[in-house]
Amino acid sequence: MGDDDAMQFDSIGYRHQIPNPAWYNPFKKRKGAGITNVSFSIPEGSIIGLVGTNGAGKTTLLRAISGILPLEEGTVKRNGGVLDSDALRSLVGFMPEQVRWASLGTIRRTMTEFAHLRGCSVQSALDVLTVVGLKNRMDSSLDSLSQGMRQRLSLGVALLGTPRVLVLDEPFNGMDPVAIDAFKRLLRTLANKGISIIVSSHHLAELDHLIDTIALLHRGQLLAHGTTDSLRANLGFEHMTEIVLERQIEEEILDAMDVLEHTEFEGQHRYVIESGHHQLLEKLVANNHTISTWRVVPPTLIELLCAATGMNRETIGMNVEQSSIIPFRTVGGEEE
Amino acid sequence: MTPSKRMWRLAFALSKQRMLSTRMLIMLPILLLFVPGMAWGFADPNIQLPAEQLPTNGTEVMFLASIGIVFAGTMAAVLIAHDGISRDRLSGVLEVRLSQPMPRWRQGVVLMLGHWSSIALPVAVLLVASMMLVGYRSGMWVPLSDAIIYIIAAMLILWWYTAFALLASSIAKEQGSAIAFSIGLWFLFTLLWVLFTTLLAALNGVAVGDTQDQGYLVFEGRLDLLSPNGVYHHILETRLDGVDRGVSALGAFFAAILWTLVPVYLFQRRLNRLVP
Repeated sequence: MGDDDAMQFDSIGYRHQIPNPAWYNPFKKRKGAGITNVSFSIPEGSIIGLVGTNGAGKTTLLRAISGILPLEEGTVKRNGGVLDSDALRSLVGFMPEQVRWASLGTIRRTMTEFAHLRGCSVQSALDVLTVVGLKNRMDSSLDSLSQGMRQRLSLGVALLGTPRVLVLDEPFNGMDPVAIDAFKRLLRTLANKGISIIVSSHHLAELDHLIDTIALLHRGQLLAHGTTDSLRANLGFEHMTEIVLERQIEEEILDAMDVLEHTEFEGQHRYVIESGHHQLLEKLVANNHTISTWRVVPPTLIELLCAATGMNRETIGMNVEQSSIIPFRTVGGEEE
Repeated sequence: MTPSKRMWRLAFALSKQRMLSTRMLIMLPILLLFVPGMAWGFADPNIQLPAEQLPTNGTEVMFLASIGIVFAGTMAAVLIAHDGISRDRLSGVLEVRLSQPMPRWRQGVVLMLGHWSSIALPVAVLLVASMMLVGYRSGMWVPLSDAIIYIIAAMLILWWYTAFALLASSIAKEQGSAIAFSIGLWFLFTLLWVLFTTLLAALNGVAVGDTQDQGYLVFEGRLDLLSPNGVYHHILETRLDGVDRGVSALGAFFAAILWTLVPVYLFQRRLNRLVP
């Protein structure tokens, strides 16, 4: 953790209370799924991609670091000092997964209200609308906004009061590719201005060309955090190449490489192989193959999870099903 | 701008928004009918009331008309505030609100003040209009001190019901439960309380059939301290002559303070622990 970190999260944890009725207390609750022992830091102006399957704890983690959920364990630090919940909320701008902004109110009224809640001037709040491209719709009714515009409004509210860290929960949900592209460019601009951004997604591909580092979350625990390359190196991950040809590759060529996947569809043969076979292209051309696709395939989330946990796809799938019920690690020496 | 000033501004904006809402437009005719309408009716010099209890002054007319506040005013407060939190929770706005630096207790005060004032202001205006109508129609003008107590009492009962509705809204995960909880509470205190009181009195051997029986009146008066409507009437009765239901004026004011603070404390406690 360096001095240029916008914020440091040290062993933070939060477990949801779930109903556990008993005959003597129908309202009894017990600790359920959540996050535990999560530590990472976010440098100034960098973008972290928080990835994990459904129920991995992404939203819980984001809510905890936004000061919405109280931290049950661990601390959040900035410049060496521990931040309390109020200080945390004043430094973090939070954009939830989906906000259905709808009422008879206007964008101007919403921004004014949140400016008061945030403690910043109304004028600065209205200026934020220029950044998110809603300046011309300032007096539009919230009911008239498209999904993309609602997401922009949510981002605008998160940007109020110039937060040091921007926390975005699945911001691309419900957005078309054009809007996603514009949104990504906007996030990069904000990061270049020094705002640190944590963005969650369960699709790695969505975060392509956006994030500086990946944090891999599974069953409430941070399995790995680093740049894409360092993560691949740490997890023993090799680049994969996808090749699509009009006919099957000859046995003698196949024997010399690691084929991870082979499928045939409409007369086309698709191979996924581990990268690093430098003479392969030469051999295929020499054998008169017509190659329609040749591209490096980034690892999928499920492959990263398999590599990080050592489990296979089937087991990972089972665990995803159960992840909202059973914590991955025993907490306090007792499985709950 | 200081945090307190921001809080007031937010409360004012919320109050304005609720006051101009469609549901307020729907409730306004009902309030008009129940508050000044009832006062106008009870001010009729030729009115025929059960047990030949004719009002002899303006304060008594307003006491009889207070049933309009109990029925329509409290219902309006519940309908205004029942989705104060649950609506935002459903839409995801609550999450955004709770992530703001303004502490939750301040946000709670904004919700209470905003919702309460949106119904309290129209009701206060209608009450003043009612007193004017009573004076105009019967020539019995309500003394200023009584008028002030009657308006304060109405504001208090609206505050209590607003607090119940917001508490229900913070507990409920969806709109249906929120309104069922709030209306259920209103129904209990407004309609079922008489049944509850009578049943308890009967179980305690009090002469239930005789409404003039002092034992029953005292029993009912004391039990009324457990109901917001009862406490409201106890406060009003402090301005009437010859009413003895076993509860002193001090007791009524003390109960009013408890009814003002306890639901607000519970609401703030709930808001503080709220998970969106």
